[in-house]
Amino acid sequence: MNKIWLFGVMLLFLGCAEKKPLIPLEYNDWKRTINEVLKYPIPGHENNYRKIFINDTGTKVVREEKEGRTYDNYPDGTIIIKEIYDSSDYKDTDKPVNLTCMVKDPKNVNSRGGWVWIVKSPETGTETILTQAFCVTCHANANEPHPYGDKNLNNDFRDYVFFPYWGEE
Amino acid sequence: MGKKKKSKITPIALKINLIIFIVLMTGIGFGSFLFGYGYFLALQDKIQSNLLVQSDILYKAIEKYMLLGKANIAMEFFDDIGTISPEYTIKLFRTTGKKAFSDNSTIETVNKNLGTPFFEPKVLGAPDTETLQEKYLQGVMQRPPQDLANIEQIEDNTFFHMYKPLINLPKCTGCHGSDHTVRGIIAINNNITRDLQEQFLRILLIGGVIFLVLTAILLIIITQYLKRAVLVPVKAIGDVCSQVTAGIFSTRVNIKRNDEIGLLGQTVNSMAKGLHERFELSKFVSSKTIQSLTSEEKGKKVAMTILFSDIRGFTSYSAKRDAEEVVDSLNRILNIQTEIIHKNGGDVDKYVGDEIVSIFTDENSAVSACRAALDIQKEIEENSSLKYDNLHVGIGIHNGEVILGMIGSEKRADFTIIGDNVNVTSRLCDVAKPGQIIIHEAAYKRIKDTIKADGPYKLKVKGKEEGLHVYLISRNEGDGGAQ
Ligand code: HEC
Repeated sequence: MNKIWLFGVMLLFLGCAEKKPLIPLEYNDWKRTINEVLKYPIPGHENNYRKIFINDTGTKVVREEKEGRTYDNYPDGTIIIKEIYDSSDYKDTDKPVNLTCMVKDPKNVNSRGGWVWIVKSPETGTETILTQAFCVTCHANANEPHPYGDKNLNNDFRDYVFFPYWGEE
Repeated sequence: MGKKKKSKITPIALKINLIIFIVLMTGIGFGSFLFGYGYFLALQDKIQSNLLVQSDILYKAIEKYMLLGKANIAMEFFDDIGTISPEYTIKLFRTTGKKAFSDNSTIETVNKNLGTPFFEPKVLGAPDTETLQEKYLQGVMQRPPQDLANIEQIEDNTFFHMYKPLINLPKCTGCHGSDHTVRGIIAINNNITRDLQEQFLRILLIGGVIFLVLTAILLIIITQYLKRAVLVPVKAIGDVCSQVTAGIFSTRVNIKRNDEIGLLGQTVNSMAKGLHERFELSKFVSSKTIQSLTSEEKGKKVAMTILFSDIRGFTSYSAKRDAEEVVDSLNRILNIQTEIIHKNGGDVDKYVGDEIVSIFTDENSAVSACRAALDIQKEIEENSSLKYDNLHVGIGIHNGEVILGMIGSEKRADFTIIGDNVNVTSRLCDVAKPGQIIIHEAAYKRIKDTIKADGPYKLKVKGKEEGLHVYLISRNEGDGGAQ
C-alpha cells in the first residue's frame, strides 16, 4: 500500500518534473565546493569519481555562531549537484552517468532536513525525488565529525552538506 | 365501516414505518459500513505509520549500539523486545538474506578492516538458518534502497511487516568498509490482529450506536411527517365518509392542499354534496325503489296492500292560485301523508301529480294500510281549513298480487308496481269522495276483525264486467260510516 502511494507521488512529481525540471542541466559555470575530483570509495558510489557543483544562491551561505557552535544555513533555492561518473580514473571527455542533487526548499512536502533529495539522469532528464529517509539518514552525518573532506572535527552544523562552500579560493 | 372490518386492516402507518425502517436500515447500514470500512483502513494506515516511527526509533538505537561495537547488545535488545511483547519481533538480516550474527563472518571482516582482532569471535550455538524472503530482500536492495512496509494476512492473523535498510553510514565505514551502501536489513514483524480487532469492535460499537440513534431520529421525523401529511388527512376523509354513511351530509373535509390528498378531499367533498342532492331526491322515492337498485331481480309477483290517495278537486284549485302557492300546499299535503304512511310501515311507491301511490308489504299489510288511511283522513279533515287550504283527499285500498319491477326505459327506469290490482285501486281512489276511504273486498277480508267497515257496496268500474264489492271505513272507528 505504501509502495503504491509512493509510486503515485513519484508519478505525480515525474509528471510535474516533465514541465519544469528542478535541476538545470547547464551547471558547468557553477562554482565547485571542492575543486578536486573525488574518488575515494564511499558507500553507494564506491570509488567511481565525483564532482560537486553549487549554484549562485548557494554561494550566499550564511555561517553564524550560536552558543559556541557554528551553523551553516544555505538560502532557499540553493542547488547542489554531485556528478557521478562510471569509472575510477578521470578523463576530461567523460560524461556523468548520474546526478545526485539537493535543493534547499524547506516548504516542500518532500523535503527532509530542509532539502529535497533528487536523483537525475543526465541522459533522459528524468528526476526522481527521494521521499524516504535514505539520503538524509546518511547526510545527517555531515553535521558531526565524519571521515570526509575536513572531517568536521569541530562538530559544526553543516546543513547536511559534506563539502561546504567556503568561498572563492 | 363496521368494527369487524376495522380490526382486520393493517394500519398504513405500520406498513410505511416498516418500509422506512427497511430503507433506513439498508441505507444507513450501508453508509455505516462504508464509514466503518474507511475508518478501518485509516486505522490500518495509522497503525502502519506508528510502526514506521517506531522502526525509525529502533533504527537509531541499533545504529548507536553498532557504533559502540556492541552488536551483541543490539541482539539482546531485539530479544528483550520479543520477550516484552511476543507479538512484536525484530530481526536483523544480512544483505545476503542470512540472519545477522548467525556466524562470525562480520566480526572477521571488522577485525580485518581495523587491522586488529578488536572483536572476539563468539562461540556459536545451534546455527540460525532463518533467512529473509527473497521478495523482501529484493524489495529493499534497490538503487536507492527502499523501506518496505506491508500488511499480510496469514490465516486468522494480520501481520504488519516493516523492512528497513540499515545504511552504511560514514561513521560505520571505519569498521565495515565503504564497498556497500546497505549494511543489513532490519525486519520488524508485528502481529496487529488484536489491535485491529479491538479497534474494529470499537468502531462497530460506535457505528452501531450512531446508526441506531440516527435510524430512530429519522424514523420519528418521517413518521411524524407522514402522520401529518397522510394519516391525519386520510382519517379526516374517512370521518367525513363515515358521517355520510350515517346520513350526515353537511360535514366537509377541510384539507387545503395542492396534492393527491387535497384532491381526494375535494373529491370526497363533491361526493358528499352529490349524495346529499340525491338523498334529498330520494325522499320522494320509495325506499323499496332504492333497495331494489342493488337487487338483481328484474321483476316479481308480490302480494301486498296498495293504497292510492288523491286530492279532490286539485285541478280546479290549482287553476285559481299562483304556482308557488300550489306547489307549497301540494307539498305540505303530500308530506304529511308520506309521513303517516311511513309511520304505519308503508312505502311511497311514487307521486303522480297530486296522487300518492303507496304499498304495504308487512304481514298485516291491509290493517296497516287502513290505519294509515284513517290517520291521513283524520289529520286532513281535522286541519283542512287550518293547514291544508280546505283541500281534502280520497283514498282507495286494495289487497292482492301485483308485479314489482323496474319499469321504464334504459335511460330512466323506476321501481314500481303494475297490474290489474293496481288499476283497481286507482279506480277505488278515483271514486272516493273527499274524506272517504274505499277498500276492496279483498282488503276487507283481512281487516274485518280489527277495523269496522261499512258495506259491501257494489261498485261499477270501467273495464270490469261485474261490479266490485267494496267497503267504506270511517275515520271515527266504530262511528258508523261516512257516506
Ligand atoms: C551512505 C552515505 C550517503 C548516502 C546514502 C547519500 N550520500 Fe550523498 N554524499 C555522501 C558523501 C560521503 C558525500 C561527500 C561527497 C563524496 O564523497 O562523494 C556526499 C555528497 C553528496 C552531495 C554533494 C553535497 C555534499 O554533501 O558535499 C550531494 C548533492 C549528494 N551527496 C546527494 C545525495 C542524494 C540525492 C542522496 C540520496 C539519493 C545521497 N546523497 C545519499 C554520502 C551519502
